Amino acid sequence: MLEHVYLIPLIPLAASLLIIFLGSEGGHSRMPLLSILAMAWCLAQALGIFWQAACGHVHLPYQASWDWFSFPVDAGGKAFSYSMPIGVLIDGAAAVMLVVVTLVSSLVQIYSLSYMHGDPRFKRYYAFLSFFTASMLGLVVSNNLLVTFACWELVGVSSYLLIGFWFEKPGPVYASKKAFITTKLGDCGLYLALLFIFTKVGSFQITQIQDFVSRGYLAPMAATLIALGLLAGAVGKSAQWPLFIWLPDAMEGPTPVSALIHAATMVAAGIYLVAKCYFIYVASPLAMETVAWVGLITALLAATMAMVAYDIKRVLAFSTVSQLGFMMCALGVGGYTAGLFHLTTHAFFKALLFLGAGSVIHAVHSNDMRHMGGLSKKMPITFVTMFIGTYAIAGLWPSAGFYSKELILEKVYGHSPLMFAILLFAALLTAFYMFRLIFLTFLGSPRDTVKHHHADESPAVMTGPLLLLAFLSIVSGYLLERNHLFAHLVDYTFPEGMKPEGAHVNALFLNYGVSALVLGSIGLSWKLYGGQDFKLAESLKQKLSWLFNALEDRYGFDEIFLGLVSFSDKSARLAFWFDTAVVDQIFVDGWGLLTKIIAEISNLFDAMFIDRTVDGFGDLSVDVGSGLRSLISRGQVQEYLMYIAIAVSLFATLILSR
Amino acid sequence: MYLLSLITFTPLIAAMIVLCLPKEKEKVIQIVSLAAGAVSFAFSLLLLPAFDKHTPAMQFIERFPWIPSLDVNYIMGIDGLSLPLVILTTFMTLLALIGSLGIKERIKEYFFWFLVLETGMLGVFEALDLVLFYFFWELTLVPMYFLIGIWGGPKKEFAAIKFFLYTLSGSVFMLLAILALYFNSTPNTFDMMALMNAHSLWSPRFQILVFLGFYLAFAIKVPAFPFHTWLPLAHVEAPTAVSVILAAVLLKMGVYGLLRISYGMLPAGFEWFLPMLIVIAVVNIVYGALCAMAQTDMKKMVAYSSVNHMGYCLLGVAGVSATGFSGAVLQMVNHGIITGSLFLLVGVIYDRAHTRDISAFGGLAARVPVYAALMSLACFASLGLPGLAGFISEFLCFLGAFPRWKVYTAIGVLGILTTAAFFLRMIEKVFLGPMNNKWTGMSDMNARELASVVPLTVVTVALGFWPRWALDFMNATMIHMAGLFNK
Repeated sequence: MLEHVYLIPLIPLAASLLIIFLGSEGGHSRMPLLSILAMAWCLAQALGIFWQAACGHVHLPYQASWDWFSFPVDAGGKAFSYSMPIGVLIDGAAAVMLVVVTLVSSLVQIYSLSYMHGDPRFKRYYAFLSFFTASMLGLVVSNNLLVTFACWELVGVSSYLLIGFWFEKPGPVYASKKAFITTKLGDCGLYLALLFIFTKVGSFQITQIQDFVSRGYLAPMAATLIALGLLAGAVGKSAQWPLFIWLPDAMEGPTPVSALIHAATMVAAGIYLVAKCYFIYVASPLAMETVAWVGLITALLAATMAMVAYDIKRVLAFSTVSQLGFMMCALGVGGYTAGLFHLTTHAFFKALLFLGAGSVIHAVHSNDMRHMGGLSKKMPITFVTMFIGTYAIAGLWPSAGFYSKELILEKVYGHSPLMFAILLFAALLTAFYMFRLIFLTFLGSPRDTVKHHHADESPAVMTGPLLLLAFLSIVSGYLLERNHLFAHLVDYTFPEGMKPEGAHVNALFLNYGVSALVLGSIGLSWKLYGGQDFKLAESLKQKLSWLFNALEDRYGFDEIFLGLVSFSDKSARLAFWFDTAVVDQIFVDGWGLLTKIIAEISNLFDAMFIDRTVDGFGDLSVDVGSGLRSLISRGQVQEYLMYIAIAVSLFATLILSR
Repeated sequence: MYLLSLITFTPLIAAMIVLCLPKEKEKVIQIVSLAAGAVSFAFSLLLLPAFDKHTPAMQFIERFPWIPSLDVNYIMGIDGLSLPLVILTTFMTLLALIGSLGIKERIKEYFFWFLVLETGMLGVFEALDLVLFYFFWELTLVPMYFLIGIWGGPKKEFAAIKFFLYTLSGSVFMLLAILALYFNSTPNTFDMMALMNAHSLWSPRFQILVFLGFYLAFAIKVPAFPFHTWLPLAHVEAPTAVSVILAAVLLKMGVYGLLRISYGMLPAGFEWFLPMLIVIAVVNIVYGALCAMAQTDMKKMVAYSSVNHMGYCLLGVAGVSATGFSGAVLQMVNHGIITGSLFLLVGVIYDRAHTRDISAFGGLAARVPVYAALMSLACFASLGLPGLAGFISEFLCFLGAFPRWKVYTAIGVLGILTTAAFFLRMIEKVFLGPMNNKWTGMSDMNARELASVVPLTVVTVALGFWPRWALDFMNATMIHMAGLFNK
């Protein structure tokens, strides 16, 4: 099973190509079944690998490589042909990620059968989804950073295609472009890091780089630069501060896409990349600290922005950004296992929340929570499952979020109590805004009676995945924590003397104290948003309008992005003006002018020494500025060629008289 | 076997046949031309199995005396540097000929010049005698002048003469440089293989001067900043198929010359110029991309994107490493394929709408899905998306230049971002958003258009996934070439 792991990315790739080229278009196409079948295969294989690894039947990491292409490289003043491999590397983290990606993909694809049914581009949607999954799985299994980067870009382009899936509307189009460019900005850093790695190590093989680093060949400075370059890519892809601005806009895409790409899988790729290259970070304390602070700032800022949003998907988007910040912060403080554990549990409950939100939007045809309310009776399954998801993300016992968040907080406390305090605050905000979402959407009585009247529970194809994800949101934490299963599978062995050690937070406080604070936060949320009309919240908004405005404006980070865009537009126009007005004038027209002046001088010689009247003598004063254009318009090409010949003979004299 | 001569002169023979045909027989002229293109392409494919990938030496050498009194010989031969370009030329010319079937006026002259052009281009990549090289080099100039000047757009005469004079003024200096090499070699020779081993006899000062003479000719062709301004004009005015050839093949003559002659024969001059070359490369990349971003005319945008992409080639060359060289050569091939298809595709929409203004469209993806898909794929290939041809070659160029020029390379990476920005903007304005009702009657691509574009798309994807098909032919030569500099 493990030896055929290369099939996992290839099967969805084949499915996507088949779907693109075969079958008929239209909202009732049967081609999506092919895509789901492919996903089911991958899921089965991924579960098999996970099971074997969990039971200890196979030994991880497993690696296999094939030749991809060879190109010449230079080392030590000699050039030789280097064979670039393509291959798979399955460690514990990859085994877990495979299950997460294939599982969420399968559920999202099943869910989409109903959600996207009837869309004229139904078939294409599945082709894109399959293509995305193929690239994402390629990213997970690759043992070579260049291939990882290639898949990294391909998930980016799938995200672009899927955000802009409804391309007739301006919103999705703008959002898709913004997402692509913003992540590409981060990718520039990643690109440079790759160049740096190959120059230093002479390989993109992760195991070889790790070997190189562990022998101490990589200077700390180089390690820091490489780590920061990789981080730049991760910051773009995982929507971390300051490049997080694209993710909320990406919600313009179909909701199942948001669940799959922008909650559970692609945005986790940045975290996964940092984890995959963890040995480089470990070699650079500065880079580690940067990772931690980037994550921390992101977790806090995004959580505050989620407090005031009314668009149900935006709340979830901010929440995703914030949770990714938690994971990043965990990795930064040395909590390798904690970060990836949270990645896993978060994938389940965030996918659940998005799919639940999709179910709500499907029913009421609106994203605005102010038009909802009282939906719990109309959509009981959606309500219960979303409540479970919220309960999990708030981190209450015994949900999955409880285990992973506790692990992160413990690690962060060990690193720095200040960071712990900030992260704890972000965790409390999480509970606040997520329950606010539940209260606004499902409780109270309907605020928009028309919409409420038409709302109905979604069909089983949609609620089925919700129920399964809800189940996982409850039990996955406990199951993975049991017997330290996850920690055994996904662990990073720090080199001697590098292991981050610090104070231990009181376990009792973590278990009970944090939970009590979270409950208090939920209570506060109920106080503000639990009622029919949230008067208290509104009056608070009046009093603190500056704060609410700042939050609704996302602290003005969008302005920075727009400023960058307009700056590049301005420089583009400046460059083009320079090209036409200066370069073209000097080097084409000026060239003609120069040769003409030389010719006029020779004319002058003619006139003075050979005593011949020169007819064109007046030209010197008349026509100096018009250069080549005038030469051509007067048809003096031959004359021009003669001028060139004169210039050439000058050059010849120069060469031959050396 | 004289395979190289067969490849090179088949088009010329066909051109002579076309010349003898009455001009009313348009179908026959088209068939003869297409057949010549196909035969030449087929012959060039025969090179592949016979080519020895493991040697950097020249292969398929043909040698006859031409002007014995001056020791001018007819010498042809190819190695891993020229083989990819020869195949690129025959392939692109064949597709451009298919794309030219839509030409309606003065068909006989058009195809005549086109076939002469092909002979000239192939000869440049195969000639191993400087006089022969110069002969072929100039031979490309005249057909191009007429092809732009007669079948071009509104400002065709101006564009043609600007192209002609600009490139001619460059090549005159090249002629001089060739003569300088001839008179300073013992025994006096134009044999390029002999001259490649003669540089140890020349003083750096001499090499620098001769280098500059060659450089002017090559830089104008590349086109390297600041000699690039003829390019956008020529592209905008040229008919579609001529733009394709101009971008796909003619520009490559510049980089080819830079590698074969400037680097191969004048290492001291090359070394002296290197600090300038890297700056020019980065300017080409970033400045070319910025200029492209300012365009509203699709064709002009693609033209400026060529300036940007040829900057990657220069970057690879300036790296003076085997990696950079192979990146540059692969990038030449990939740029030819990708930009060739971009020009063909721009031609497709221009034939229907008679405008190339980006903002005149909108929402076309719903109306012409096949066209939108092919165009988007070409754009993504051009912006260096992995899995498509441009990625690996761009990456190798950067990888080859990085050890020597870290800061410049880092600046160059910004060019990738800018490229993404303007291609995405074009996709957005033309294909996405609300449907512009003016074009509701637009038809999707027809069979002829598909026949000329789809092969390029297939190769773009194939080389993206499997770059070894191209790289394997180059490796030995590139390793050998990089070795010259370190000696």
